Amino acid sequence: MGAMNDTLVWSATAVAVVVALAGLASTLARRRIGLVHLAAAAVLEVLLLVQAVVAGAALAGGERPPETATFLGYLGGAVLLPVAGVLWSRTEPSRWAGTVLAVAALVTLVMVWRLVQLWEAPGA
Amino acid sequence: MPEPAATAPGGTAAGPGRVLVAVYAVFALAAGARAAVQLATRFDEAPVAYLLSALAAAVYVVATVALARGGRRVALVAIVVELVGVLVVGVLSLVDRAAFPDETVWSAFGRGYGFVPLVLPVLGLLWLRHLGRTAPGTPAGPGR
Repeated sequence: MGAMNDTLVWSATAVAVVVALAGLASTLARRRIGLVHLAAAAVLEVLLLVQAVVAGAALAGGERPPETATFLGYLGGAVLLPVAGVLWSRTEPSRWAGTVLAVAALVTLVMVWRLVQLWEAPGA
Repeated sequence: MPEPAATAPGGTAAGPGRVLVAVYAVFALAAGARAAVQLATRFDEAPVAYLLSALAAAVYVVATVALARGGRRVALVAIVVELVGVLVVGVLSLVDRAAFPDETVWSAFGRGYGFVPLVLPVLGLLWLRHLGRTAPGTPAGPGR
């Protein structure tokens, strides 16, 4: 099983896709981001934090991915990215705020799956 | 990014520019972290490739900051260096695989990153040109 929980990974994937779609939709509709975006991003962040705690527990328990430093880098990055995305998009008064959030969500998604890879693959 | 939003409307970090800054910031972080790991853990294996990796990271950082703060000339220089870098390293990494034993952001034209490193400088230059046209007060620079 390891440090990457299947349920958490798939939930984060689904929510990240929702955030990305909502962001792109608001750009296409020429609207700013709204409460829906912030709520979805918050859910994503909570999932990532729980996943980080799970991974942290596995690491503390002595399990190690092949490249621990890289794994930790991706983990920290994935946790910070939705926050950075929300901050950077909230100061954008145009419809492009949604695309900024979508970029952050999609990159987060990639990083989560990279984390899965880093944990499982022998020396990615 | 906790950047103070000091950009006037129509600046390099407004509208689509804000998306561009976001993507650049991601690459600054990704390239920087990757270069740091490479230099710290296995510098001896391929010093040239890893130093190029660090150069790429620096270029992304400069481009990100310049775009975020509206420094068009610096952004232009950084993005041109980035474009040249991704093309040169892209070709070299395919021709001389031995010199690039480990993936860098620019290897094989950024294949490991969905070729975004190849598209990004083009979008950056288009964006700067667009700004130069809409706001003729401060042109993006000669010849571009």
